Amino acid sequence: MEPSSQPQPAIGVVAGGSQVYPAYRPAATVPTAPAVIPAGSQPAPSFPANPDQLSAQHQLVYQQAQQFHQQLQQQQQRQLQQFWAERLVDIEQTTDFKNHSLPLARIKKIMKADEDVRMISAEAPVIFAKACEIFILELTLRSWMHTEENKRRTLQKNDIAAAITRTDMYDFLVDIVPRDDLKEEGVGLPRAGLPPLGVPADSYPYGYYVPQQQVPGAGIAYGGQQGHPGYLWQDPQEQQEEPPAEQQSD
Amino acid sequence: MPDSDNDSGGPSNYAGGELSSPREQDRFLPIANVSRIMKKALPANAKISKDAKETVQECVSEFISFITGEASDKCQREKRKTINGDDLLWAMTTLGFEDYVDPLKHYLHKFREIEGERAAASTTGAGTSAASTTPPQQQHTANAAGGYAGYAAPGAGPGGMMMMMGQPMYGSPPPPPQQQQQQHHHMAMGGRGGFGHHPGGGGGGSSSSSGHGRQNRGA
Repeated sequence: MEPSSQPQPAIGVVAGGSQVYPAYRPAATVPTAPAVIPAGSQPAPSFPANPDQLSAQHQLVYQQAQQFHQQLQQQQQRQLQQFWAERLVDIEQTTDFKNHSLPLARIKKIMKADEDVRMISAEAPVIFAKACEIFILELTLRSWMHTEENKRRTLQKNDIAAAITRTDMYDFLVDIVPRDDLKEEGVGLPRAGLPPLGVPADSYPYGYYVPQQQVPGAGIAYGGQQGHPGYLWQDPQEQQEEPPAEQQSD
Repeated sequence: MPDSDNDSGGPSNYAGGELSSPREQDRFLPIANVSRIMKKALPANAKISKDAKETVQECVSEFISFITGEASDKCQREKRKTINGDDLLWAMTTLGFEDYVDPLKHYLHKFREIEGERAAASTTGAGTSAASTTPPQQQHTANAAGGYAGYAAPGAGPGGMMMMMGQPMYGSPPPPPQQQQQQHHHMAMGGRGGFGHHPGGGGGGSSSSSGHGRQNRGA
């Protein structure tokens, strides 16, 4: 059940991956499997024929998925860098401070909603007008990334929920989007890419995956994971993946 | 005042059924303005659902209240009554919006230049404030760099300290175990809503993962 040849190449692959991108998405996605498998897949103990060939195929698919996610992250990071460069250019070109994209009186009212707020300088709403514009632009850009990942052209509420969940800076907004929208995220997930991540044999060194190899029904169990889509996009999963990787490399 | 009147009069053409009452309307920025800005961030052929626009409206108001609250607390601690631009920039730094500060400093600087004729006295005071904030600006730049590293490793993103930690973790593989331990510790201490899941997930191992799954089911 535990061939010695498998752990070594897997360690090399995963360790390398974690060093380059400690928080790459495949690592975050895979750990969700153990939470579901015990409940639904234990009764099916059969194992597929020719495990060595299966392992090789899974390694290839896993590496391809890993590359895809790295490229996706790099692209999104470039988009954000370009976003901030554009913001500076936009501000440098500003000459008129009387026509704001957002009404100063309304901003002041929102600030005043807090009873502790007494006096506000004239420059405060002006700064907020620009800050809110940047806030809206960045939140919309991050939300659109989720829309694109789901092959849609219409930005929806659940895309905003996804952006809020993925970005720690937006923690204070968690209460604004209901749980349903967080769950709804999973519905749009590209299913084609999920099954291979559910059974990455090369990740065997992690304790998580032992049950998966024993239970080839993991593919079916993985389908059940779609019931917990909000879980898929939370940072803690990525955190979970890092310690074992380091332990293995040591 | 004239500026405010003009601004609030023109673009406040709001036609939201659910949020049509005057008080409700005052809680949010006009949906037309919000929608226009959103479109600037998207491709030409992109569409935006109405509930997405309304959600962003709520998010922006929350953002204003969030920053204002922190700035107000600072003013109270310092026995000052008026919230000024520098207080807002400080609050943004404190609350994780470091990337916003540099662009807004440029913006504020320009604004003060143009308004210089109106209030020479306040300009002098503003100059002093600007000078005093020069050192923090460098720190902000460093934090901003950390923020970018945070994009690659979202787990290292939260809070200024976490961003600073993100850099060494990203650059030097040997220390990662210790960094991760500290990371978990800080996240546990954070106590913010978003960090509610981190302590459970930080433990690692299959049992921890299962436990996290249970937490999600409960939620």
